[in-house]
Amino acid sequence: MVGELGSQFTPILYALGIGVLAGVPSLVLSRLLSPRKRYNPVKFLPMECGQVPVGEGRSHFMMQYYAYILMFVVFDVIAIFLYAWGSSLLSISREATLPMIAFLGIMFAAMGYALYLSGRKGIW
Amino acid sequence: MATAPKEFRFGNFVASIVWLVFWIIIIVTLVVLPLIFVILFYVPLPYAGDEVLTPYLFFSMMVDPTRTVPIIDFLIHTDLFRAAIFPGFAYAAFIAAATIYIERKFLAKMQLRTGPFYAGRFEGILQLIADGLKLISKEVIIPSGADKPLFWATPIIFVATAAAATALIPVAPGWVASDLDVGILAIFAILGFFPLLALLFSWASNSKYPFIGGLRALHQLIAFEIPFILSALPIVLLSGSLNLSEMVESQYLFWFFAVAPISAFVFYISSLAELERVPFDLPEAESEIVAGWLTETSGMIYGLIQLGTYVKLYVLAALFVVLFLGGWMGPQIFPQELIPNYTGEKIYNATVVNGIFWFTLKTFGMIMLILLPRGINPRIRIDILLHTGWYKLIVLAFINIFIVLTLIYGGIITPGGLQ
Repeated sequence: MVGELGSQFTPILYALGIGVLAGVPSLVLSRLLSPRKRYNPVKFLPMECGQVPVGEGRSHFMMQYYAYILMFVVFDVIAIFLYAWGSSLLSISREATLPMIAFLGIMFAAMGYALYLSGRKGIW
Repeated sequence: MATAPKEFRFGNFVASIVWLVFWIIIIVTLVVLPLIFVILFYVPLPYAGDEVLTPYLFFSMMVDPTRTVPIIDFLIHTDLFRAAIFPGFAYAAFIAAATIYIERKFLAKMQLRTGPFYAGRFEGILQLIADGLKLISKEVIIPSGADKPLFWATPIIFVATAAAATALIPVAPGWVASDLDVGILAIFAILGFFPLLALLFSWASNSKYPFIGGLRALHQLIAFEIPFILSALPIVLLSGSLNLSEMVESQYLFWFFAVAPISAFVFYISSLAELERVPFDLPEAESEIVAGWLTETSGMIYGLIQLGTYVKLYVLAALFVVLFLGGWMGPQIFPQELIPNYTGEKIYNATVVNGIFWFTLKTFGMIMLILLPRGINPRIRIDILLHTGWYKLIVLAFINIFIVLTLIYGGIITPGGLQ
């Protein structure tokens, strides 16, 4: 299971390179073929449905659901821990599942509390 | 109305084509062929069959049809071919193109329209080529104040990331570009780049609608990432492996859909959300925020992002097939020998062709299922979406994990299959 060769990952890098090779020429070709007219001052303004844009494009923005993003940071790692346990489930003893169930219980309790807090919009 | 110019003569037209062919022949013989030989002189040459493949041998063998089989056999077993053409990017891009056409026709039929009709003799089959030509010949408009390097680079990275994910999909026994022992984790890792790219592009375009769309994309993809990951866990428990090919091989008795239907449902819903498709298309909600994080895209930048999106659709549909629907498993319907009493070098392998056939068929069925909600569902609100992702789907995913654990510890399912 472990002890993987780095060379096994090279086809992924090939595919990544092929994606770049497909993307760059099409953009270059499009740049060569397409018309480029620059005399219209309104053309390069950010799109705001025909209005003249007001204020900055990158402004401060209230993220109402920020609590969910904080939860993700913790629970994504926990979900990956479960994979380490799950892939070796058939080769470990049955008693080893009990700590895992306890771990899940702690995780559920924490998640319930976090969801309760993130439901309260006033504090975020 | 378009008319031919006055000096147009058919003879001139033929002459221009003859000139073109003449110059192509001159350039190929004087520049391209010598260049190939010069470059190949410095490349370590592989073995084809039992002899070293020199450029001279390559060309002579390609001309002689009876000797081309070993060369083709050698070429289709290289890593580069697998990453680039067959289980990799070109196959995925072909399926993506077919998906776009099928989606337009399918939705049109559901809404009693005809869909693409005029390009091409049969049912507008050339519509995609027409669209591609249109996109490539349109001007790319970059809004003032945009971060130009990021604005140009993000669509390319988007396509490249989607292409990297295709390298991990096994389509037939042994036919996968990168057969990793941690295949499913690698796919999750690659898919984790997409919310980042959406946020990056929305930030780079310096506009308000893309910014709102990018934040929505971030919330949505993050909310559905955890049910997405958890819904694949029962398959890891059942097959005892993280390798995608081994997961398929462990389904030789029954599809894992039979014991993990709730997980399959959660996986399907979360992949709809990961793909930003209806009913979860909030990041691109065209009736609320113009086109979401794609508002400032135009021309080929839009085209590349669409290509990446549909390649990603193929990856998720294929992942569903690999995890729940038994991958390439299916009854053998292709004959063992294509030409009876043929004794030369063989390239045709009945098992592989059968696997590719069943895999493609199941993947297309899955793609149709992913396309279906666009015709029948309205969009949902963002707080309902977050509630669905965080409360309901995670609980449903855990229910199926416990069902599978009970089946394994109850002795009903063992690694060898049903008891």
